[in-house]
Amino acid sequence: MKYCNNCRVHVRGTKETCVLCDNPLSCGEGGDGREDPFPEIPPEYERHLAMRIMILVSVSAVVISFTVRMLIPTPVNWPLFVLFGLLCTWASLIVIIRKRHNIPKTIIWQVSIVSISSVLWDSQTGWHGWSVDYVIPTAFAAAILVMYVAGKITRLKINDYIFYALISGFFGIAPALFILFNVAQVRYPSLICVASSIIFLSALFLFHGSNIKKELKKRMHI
Amino acid sequence: MSYLEEEKWIRLDNASKLFPSTFSPADTKVFRSVCELNEPVDPAILQKALDITLETFPLYRTVLRRGMFWYYLEYSGIKPVVTEEFQAVCAPIYLGHKRNLLFRVSYYRHRINLEVFHVLSDGTGAFLFLRALVCNYLAVRQDSGSPGIPAPFKKVSVSERMDDSFERHYTGDRLHEKRDVTRPRSGVRAYRCGGTRLPENRIALIDGAMSVKAVLEQAHSYNTTLTVFISALLVYSIGREMPVRRRGRPIVLSVPINLRQYFDSATVRNFFSTMNVPYDSRGGVPDLAAVIGILSEGFKDELTESRLAGKLDRFMRLSQNPLVRIMPLPLKNLFLKIGARHADRRISAVISNIGRVEMPREFEDSIRQFSACVGGRYIKLTLGTYRDRLVVSFTSPFRETNVQRRFFRLLSDMGIDIEISSNL
Repeated sequence: MKYCNNCRVHVRGTKETCVLCDNPLSCGEGGDGREDPFPEIPPEYERHLAMRIMILVSVSAVVISFTVRMLIPTPVNWPLFVLFGLLCTWASLIVIIRKRHNIPKTIIWQVSIVSISSVLWDSQTGWHGWSVDYVIPTAFAAAILVMYVAGKITRLKINDYIFYALISGFFGIAPALFILFNVAQVRYPSLICVASSIIFLSALFLFHGSNIKKELKKRMHI
Repeated sequence: MSYLEEEKWIRLDNASKLFPSTFSPADTKVFRSVCELNEPVDPAILQKALDITLETFPLYRTVLRRGMFWYYLEYSGIKPVVTEEFQAVCAPIYLGHKRNLLFRVSYYRHRINLEVFHVLSDGTGAFLFLRALVCNYLAVRQDSGSPGIPAPFKKVSVSERMDDSFERHYTGDRLHEKRDVTRPRSGVRAYRCGGTRLPENRIALIDGAMSVKAVLEQAHSYNTTLTVFISALLVYSIGREMPVRRRGRPIVLSVPINLRQYFDSATVRNFFSTMNVPYDSRGGVPDLAAVIGILSEGFKDELTESRLAGKLDRFMRLSQNPLVRIMPLPLKNLFLKIGARHADRRISAVISNIGRVEMPREFEDSIRQFSACVGGRYIKLTLGTYRDRLVVSFTSPFRETNVQRRFFRLLSDMGIDIEISSNL
């Protein structure tokens, strides 16, 4: 084992200098303690390079489009669309990356983001009603289907996605409000979505009622 | 089938509730318990020993999940895999989004490391697991004894080990067992050593192994105990390194107290409290004897059963408040983060003594030493004793080792033989 004459301590390992005072160590007697007590841990590599490149591309796209519109004026404020489009893309990308270990949760989040952004787009482009007519009912109905298929494919245990299935079922009933308050011009997507959600929820309660109860008790305990 | 496997989930105990809200990349709330053997570790045997040990510690098979109002532990069938040490000391375990076990077991040469996310266990609890693991390892290795539950733990049932002792010992009527008002409060912002941070939030670990007899002799010559003696050395070292212009701030040691000594419990879950022992540094640190005098007063004041009972009740009261209970988890996280930051400012360093580790006689000669260390943002010192070997483990997020150098030189100046090992 090596020895530090300044600190008067023995030092294990192959280092040439003392960790306490940085002075050179002298070789002590005795053969033990010559191995390094800890492994060399290499630094973690830059893992987010792709992400940084993508952010730079997005920022440049926004800056360039605004600059171009100032140089070549157009009546439509199209750079705003570029900005909103990128914001929506990023919102959904971030959610996917952060929640990637929980597929049912990702589905719920994606459906929410798609619904909110479609309403925003629709209202900003002169409210044609396509978001509530088609996008939201389709997204909600698709969520239920995707949830079921994803659960089966990834062999999730029923308890791992029953809570999210429940949420997506309730989401699916929401378009009933569009019909009730006459928001929807085209009614059949909403009707189909609501009807299938009610059937789905009934099946869920009938076949997994006790599971739902357990799951709610667990997640909502105070 | 154990209780946990049937029920599938358990509530967090009162101390565990804090950690998922307050952990960060710089303060991972992970601590490491270490056993160094006298022989190189065989990974296959260690894996086998771990599998056997987990049978009797169902708590260690859980993952942490978020509920609406609280986090909770959920039983999982995940099988832990023993690996050669390849991550930094006390690297993060819980990542927030991934469902993984809350501990890891690794080895390096003669050393077995058990790293635990604080939600699962406190130091004493983790050492129960580590001791069982090492017993099983040596039993399988020597092909002797009956693997399974090692002798020293046979008397305790699995459900006793899963006990939420905070909940069991909470009465709610001892809230006013507070300290005397005459003593200076430790509520002010404490002095904190600074320095150059290591990259990637790594921590510098410096272990010093020495004879406990020699250190105790020195402690007894000052008429004090091992913990107070080492605490005084730490305060003295910090005080000596402290810039004179910052002497207005007190040096405050935070000391975790194992409540199992005071309240009946055999749990492996969290059951500890902490006390803050302040040292007023306005006059500097004249000599060691003076520091020892002040600190031993501070220790004595805090360590009474009624004081601890009051502490436990006050600690429990907040989480029993109906308004707190129905507060959604993200809000709770926010408030706990703010609260923890304020509480943190009152602390200069942490010292914890895991005490003397006992092992069955047949395994004693195969083990060299036990030690522990804690990750985090400031200087933390942990003591572990096994037979005559005391290991003092320093962790700090800084590259500078001034306090450590002063500390170990104080000991070597007393003629104590020290063996340093470090990851720097």
